[in-house]
Amino acid sequence: MNLRLTNKQINIIEKANPFLIVSTIVAFTFGLYFSLLQSPPDYIQGDSMRIMYIHVPSAWFALMAYTILAGSSVLWFITRNPIFSIIARSIAQIGMIFTLISLVTGSIWGKPTWGVWWVWDARLTSMLLLFFLYLAYIFLWKSITNKDLASKISAALAIVGFVNIPIIKFSVDWWNTLHQPATISKLSSPSIDISMMIPLFIMTLATFLFLVTVFFIRLRIEILDNKILRIREVK
Amino acid sequence: MLALLKRDLYLALYSSSSFFYTSSFFVLVLIILPFLFGTNNVQLQVLFKGIIWIGLSLSILLTMERIFNADYEDGNLDIIIQRYPSLETIIISKYITHWLVYCLPLFIILPILSFLFYVSLDNFFLIFLNLFFGSLGMVFIVTFVSALTLGAKRTIFLKAIIVIPLFVPFLIFGTNLESWPILLALSMMSFVLSIYVSAYGLRLYVE
Repeated sequence: MNLRLTNKQINIIEKANPFLIVSTIVAFTFGLYFSLLQSPPDYIQGDSMRIMYIHVPSAWFALMAYTILAGSSVLWFITRNPIFSIIARSIAQIGMIFTLISLVTGSIWGKPTWGVWWVWDARLTSMLLLFFLYLAYIFLWKSITNKDLASKISAALAIVGFVNIPIIKFSVDWWNTLHQPATISKLSSPSIDISMMIPLFIMTLATFLFLVTVFFIRLRIEILDNKILRIREVK
Repeated sequence: MLALLKRDLYLALYSSSSFFYTSSFFVLVLIILPFLFGTNNVQLQVLFKGIIWIGLSLSILLTMERIFNADYEDGNLDIIIQRYPSLETIIISKYITHWLVYCLPLFIILPILSFLFYVSLDNFFLIFLNLFFGSLGMVFIVTFVSALTLGAKRTIFLKAIIVIPLFVPFLIFGTNLESWPILLALSMMSFVLSIYVSAYGLRLYVE
């Protein structure tokens, strides 16, 4: 464990934190103003559609967080630098919360749109499975008392989970395709109107800033935790 | 390799789970079916395809602590690893043992079970193929999860949380009768994944 390196990292994080918090609040103020007041309501779904501005970014970042989790686990395997294991651990909890947010908001959105709280369709089900992949990662880390071993083992599990995500996604898609087709991913001709695109973009930015803020706070906690662990081991 | 396999099989069959127990377990899981859903022939035939997979996953999942944990806790695993330098040999022996003890009984009583649940002969062969390839893949998955969770406290629920999302593709394709080639592909993929990850996990714990 290179303590000097992490001290420097803690300093950077501590300095960056107030700026991040302020910019998150500003971005959310703008984003909520545009998404709740400025953007037009959907002509079929009405105002209930506005929950999309929370739902879609959190779903994106839930997926992105797992990519970061797997990526830092791979980097940990290559470099054996403990900072990657710490990054993986801090992003896992945030990713789990984002998955939960997207599931809950999706369910609230589903009630006026589909008439039921939950529909067993491909995307919802694979998000639910993603939630359990996060849960497995976090629980596995917590249940192994030797923390050096725990980080090695949970890194392996993260990579296995990442390999399995496309397989799970493919099989769940095959099992059921009820959901409306993806709207944003079609880059050539987006089927979402520009007046909704702008608030969605601002809200995505705000959610991203929120993620980074929380991530840095968690990172700092995990680094300090790691230090305490080392000091205890030396004693 | 053969001596190791013989030892594993003897231990598994002598300790607690004879052939008879495992096959009774499958019969009992399926007996629940008419009690829960009534005796409508057509309905039972549909439900049978699903419940048989629940029985198989339960039998693999509930017994996964026997793959490495017993050997690990009494120290035998260290001795075995010293005796057989290639970890892959040990892992393959564990695959074979686990499949023979906890999955094979299902295939032996499957003809009787499908007779009880009015499954036609064509469907029986397809269900058999599906279960065969699916059970191989599920044993591979359970083995590497068991190798990874050796040091965790003895919590079958933690293992279930890890394993069931990985089982989902098998269960989805397993209930479709024509998709045994996909199950074969999935099993081969999980074999490749499993043998590396189990070796990695074992090496970590034994060091």
